Amino acid sequence: MPTWFRSVLVFSLIYTFLVGVSALEKGIKIMGEDTQEALFSSVSNPIAGLCVGILGTVLVQSSSASTSVIVGLVATGGISVEAAVPMIMGANIGTTVTNTLVSLGHVRQSNEFKRAFAAATVHDFFNVMAVALLLPLELLTGLVSKTATWISDRLVGTAGTEWKSPVKAWVKKPVEWIVDVWEAVGLNGNVLGTTVVLTGLAIVLLSLTFITKNMRELVADRVEKSVNKVLGKGSGSVAMLLGLVITIAVQSSSITTSILIPLAAAGVLSLRNAYPVTLGANVGTTITALLAALAASVPEALTVGLAHTVFNVLGIALLYVPRFVRYVPVRLAEGLAEVAFSRPAWAVVYVMTAFIVLPLIGVGLFG
Amino acid sequence: MVMSFFSKRESGLDHIVARAVGMLGDARHSFDLATLALLTNTDTAAVEADIRATDERINNMEQQLRAELVVHVTVQGSTDIGSVLGMILLLKKIERIGDQATNVLDLAESGVRLAGEPDTEAMLAERGLISTMFGEAADLLSEPDVERTEEFAERVLAVVAEHRAKIESYLHSDRPGREVVPRAIYYRYLKRIVANLLGIVHTAAEPIPAANQPDDKDD
Repeated sequence: MPTWFRSVLVFSLIYTFLVGVSALEKGIKIMGEDTQEALFSSVSNPIAGLCVGILGTVLVQSSSASTSVIVGLVATGGISVEAAVPMIMGANIGTTVTNTLVSLGHVRQSNEFKRAFAAATVHDFFNVMAVALLLPLELLTGLVSKTATWISDRLVGTAGTEWKSPVKAWVKKPVEWIVDVWEAVGLNGNVLGTTVVLTGLAIVLLSLTFITKNMRELVADRVEKSVNKVLGKGSGSVAMLLGLVITIAVQSSSITTSILIPLAAAGVLSLRNAYPVTLGANVGTTITALLAALAASVPEALTVGLAHTVFNVLGIALLYVPRFVRYVPVRLAEGLAEVAFSRPAWAVVYVMTAFIVLPLIGVGLFG
Repeated sequence: MVMSFFSKRESGLDHIVARAVGMLGDARHSFDLATLALLTNTDTAAVEADIRATDERINNMEQQLRAELVVHVTVQGSTDIGSVLGMILLLKKIERIGDQATNVLDLAESGVRLAGEPDTEAMLAERGLISTMFGEAADLLSEPDVERTEEFAERVLAVVAEHRAKIESYLHSDRPGREVVPRAIYYRYLKRIVANLLGIVHTAAEPIPAANQPDDKDD
């Protein structure tokens, strides 16, 4: 496929993605306030919100998709920024399941598996530690949400007002067509709202999948060149910036981090070299939620997108910048990889427990 | 370094081929110096550091390029896996030529000197011919050409056959061992170097030899 055609295709897909986010917002607005209340009351507890964020992201295997949906939900007013922040944190944890699953593919070659599993779980440990530090801080002081609100206020205006997003106007017509189509088949009320939400979700997931696929094709040579730069040389900050740039380009942190796993498994990339790339990917992936916020009509949507960025930047500031904690996630990942190396079944137990069982228990207890 | 993401330069296998051509240039440099030390009165100490540093550079580059090939497959997928496997083999062959040039230096350092002998002029002429083959192999690596590869292969195979005959004759010669043993060893290294040059050119032209299925009627 010619590059120019693929570029046009990507722009069209981004537009489709924004239509999907807007349809999501529209669908929830169609539902009555009582339905919205019933739907979102379960995530008002921060632990439940965190667990829903993890489960939702594990389900769609993309934090870009789940955070975009969260942005859409905040735009409807169904969820407050404060309630959305733990969900965003959960999405950050949930997205690491993809590269952990990729690392399980190396299970037959024990030494390769040990390196691959450590490279995958370093991302898990960093994100869990970031949540362990920043969620209590958020609950006590509102650090993440207040910082994001402060930035958002300066960019698009105060919360509670209507933000005249130009993108919102561009996507208005197709969203109306979606609603018209479902109304024409006789749907109304909550059924119509739910169907529009599901249509929006399907559009968001499909368009993100194809954006990622096409962007990967478009920038593969550049990604290859950049990863080569990180091999054995370059400082942590350079590796982090490359992780950020690659992830923004391919619109998926899972792609970036999953590329690192085979390289770590082959011994081409050391865990300490791969780790900062992962952190850059964490920040880079937040661009999608910011993009989704462009299709929303209230400043709070952008605030949530920014909260995702602020959370990841603060995580790096607290857990990577100070030298004494920098390699704690690396050592924890190496320790867990050692356990998985001696008993590979524990790796599966870990994935099931961390990404499914514990979040389900969390939702059950606090939801 | 981060800006390299946005810069335009050769990438992927083109970049690796360019670096492999550079490695071949290094291997030729080592070969020229090592054979000079053995066939002339050049002080081995004067060339030793250069040859060993060049060999280390070749080895390091081979490792780096192999890592880059792993990155290539990881990022681009397995569409050109045949070329990647061929390239790994090709890099290994260049690395071996570097080692064999160092072996020639080791021979000279062990006290063997073939300067001022009746066959020295012929061996120097042969050295020049093989050195030229390095250049031809580099050209064919950059721009594979079936016809030129076939013509090159014919000449290389003739040289290899000639070396094999010489080794045989030295092994069965009645001349003193101090005369024939160094020559037999030297020609064995030359034979391997030339064969590796042909291997490089063949691998560049056809990374994985095609498996020719016989027709049913041939069964």
